[in-house]
Amino acid sequence: MPQVPIIMPQLGESIAEATIVSIKVQPGDEVAADQEVIEVETNKAVMGVTTPCAGAVARIDAQVKETYPIGAVLGYIEASEKDAARFTNQTVADVRKEVPKEIPGRADEEKVAARKTADNGAKAKVSTDGLPVPAAAKGAGFLSPRVRARMAELQLTVADLAGIAGTGSGNRVTIKDLENYLRQIESQMMSDASAIRSGVADAMRRSWSRPLATVGSSVNLDPLLNDRKRREGKPGPALYAVRALALALAENPGAAAKLIGSRLLQGNSIDIGLAIEADGGIIVPIIRGADKTSLAELVGRYKELVNLGRERRISPDMQTGGMAAVSNFGVFGVEWGTPIPLPDQTMILGLGVGKKMPRWDEAKAEFVPVTEAQITLSFDHRSLDGGGAGRLLKRVIELLEDPASL
Amino acid sequence: MSITYLEAIREAQAKLLRDDKRVFIYGQDVGGTFGGAFKATKGLAKEFPGRVLNTPISEDAMVGTAIGAAMEGMRPIVEMQFADFSSIALNQVLNNAGTIFWRTGISCPITIRLPSGGTKGSGPFHSQSMEALYSHYPGLIVMTPATVEDAYTMLIEAVAIDDPVVYCEHKYLYYHLKADRLPSEGLPVGQARIARVGRDLTIVSYSAMLHESLTAAEKLAREGLEIEVVDLRSVKPLDTATVLASVARTGRLLAVGESFPWGGVTAEVIARVAAEGFHLLDAAPARVNAKDTPIPYHPNLWSAHRPSSDAIVAKARQLLRE
Repeated sequence: MPQVPIIMPQLGESIAEATIVSIKVQPGDEVAADQEVIEVETNKAVMGVTTPCAGAVARIDAQVKETYPIGAVLGYIEASEKDAARFTNQTVADVRKEVPKEIPGRADEEKVAARKTADNGAKAKVSTDGLPVPAAAKGAGFLSPRVRARMAELQLTVADLAGIAGTGSGNRVTIKDLENYLRQIESQMMSDASAIRSGVADAMRRSWSRPLATVGSSVNLDPLLNDRKRREGKPGPALYAVRALALALAENPGAAAKLIGSRLLQGNSIDIGLAIEADGGIIVPIIRGADKTSLAELVGRYKELVNLGRERRISPDMQTGGMAAVSNFGVFGVEWGTPIPLPDQTMILGLGVGKKMPRWDEAKAEFVPVTEAQITLSFDHRSLDGGGAGRLLKRVIELLEDPASL
Repeated sequence: MSITYLEAIREAQAKLLRDDKRVFIYGQDVGGTFGGAFKATKGLAKEFPGRVLNTPISEDAMVGTAIGAAMEGMRPIVEMQFADFSSIALNQVLNNAGTIFWRTGISCPITIRLPSGGTKGSGPFHSQSMEALYSHYPGLIVMTPATVEDAYTMLIEAVAIDDPVVYCEHKYLYYHLKADRLPSEGLPVGQARIARVGRDLTIVSYSAMLHESLTAAEKLAREGLEIEVVDLRSVKPLDTATVLASVARTGRLLAVGESFPWGGVTAEVIARVAAEGFHLLDAAPARVNAKDTPIPYHPNLWSAHRPSSDAIVAKARQLLRE
């Protein structure tokens, strides 16, 4: 009986090879046409290889965990003469003769690859044509000098390339990929990002180079909300948070120490930033010596800063330094978030929106309504651990729930 | 009419002898009936009596005599039987010819013809390419024509230049390469030529390897890959600008040379592109050279030793996958 090959199908655009996950049939098994017999995995998805026609499995050459290029023969089906005739015109590359004979250079390469296999046990396969995309993509780690030069020219950063599927080795983004991408985005609506937007983008990218972690808890805002009515200028929750964080850090300044190389830097003064939304971005002016600034003084300072912010007159040195900052994302009606600390700061405290929640009262043995908010502390995990961050956050909550102490 | 690379060299010498009384040819058996080892001077002794002179078998004496004649205002052409033997005259070429003008202000317009490169079965002493060695030393110009046209115009230019010129003619091209007619003028020395236009990869080559490179480009074209091929024409001066402009278009560089790899012309090309055009490269530059062993006699070994179009195709493919 004639044999019809089972071929690795084209599994999608820019996919050149796939790895065998499982083989569902054995030689001798009867199979129907289009029956899934082999499961393969690409860097995008797991897919099935189906039989070209009905018949019996003659043999399976493919092996599990091995990677084969598109068009490779994975096995054969014993088929009827009629079915076989339909496939005789198709030319296929045999798995065992993967490297075409007429190109001696390629044969050399395979020998080198085979030697490498002996060395490190990892099998390096050479695919038949085109620019292959490895099945196990490691991500685009390498940027060629040319890509870097072009990026510098266009003021692009690595983060801007995140949307490009690279076609180079190891999925790296080649200059062609970059130029194609640039051509493609040209058809979309574009506007220049404001200076403040670009500034925030730069700060966030730099900050993201650190391992950041977040701890969270809830805080009862009722004492604070009652306290603020009695205070002059009615300080907002964010100012209470600045004050609470400042006092907590004054007790334990090491918690906000900055790690530079193998040394920990501890600030001389408890300087806390306060995030203020401004035209198309966010600015974080620093309140110097916040632990020595009373809530009443903070109210005045805050008003001053908001006005300066509106006039866009908060100078760069008013935003530099500081060990920590407060983001009152609750003003947007948000309950919870993981703000990113500024690149030169170690942590950022986030305060969510207050919500009436039932809280179990042990004394009364019943649920009582309280205004509860979620409170988060995002920090640089290189210099601070979950325990240290948790203790600091706990102390901030204690202070916020006892506003008379602030 | 069809004219070979070797005939172009002979024709250029005939024209030089005809047009300039200062020109004379000096070499082993150049004035005999055979006309040198490869008949590059066949018939010239008869046509120009007393100006095509046989020398003793001493490359050292040949070049030394020619240097003296050049300093006295003559324009000698020295024929080496094989490039390999010019090593015997290294002292005269490097220490004398290359330095005279810089030491004395007196020009030394000699042209040394080196029948270079490999042919099947020629072995270690009759196959070598010496262009990298001569290019290393200051004061010399090194030409490596790859076409019949360049063989003709560049030899005429070599004699016109006041500096000593090492003219590397390729033995493999002597009979293989044919042109319809000889040109009246060519590109000046130091200017490379884009032999084939492409956009995916730049192959920089010269002499016989240009043709292997063009064949490789042709093979890759069948796969839809567009390879640009640059013919350096002269390796010293080296036309860095044309090479860089090509790499700017393609982002990838493959340098191909027939000579040994260590410190060769391909190394120089890559060094210059890496130093001056690092920002143009989208992949690490690569090169294809002969193997770093003496050149073997056996035809099969020789074929494996010398870069072939298949080896260039394989390397280009690898580079295009980067």
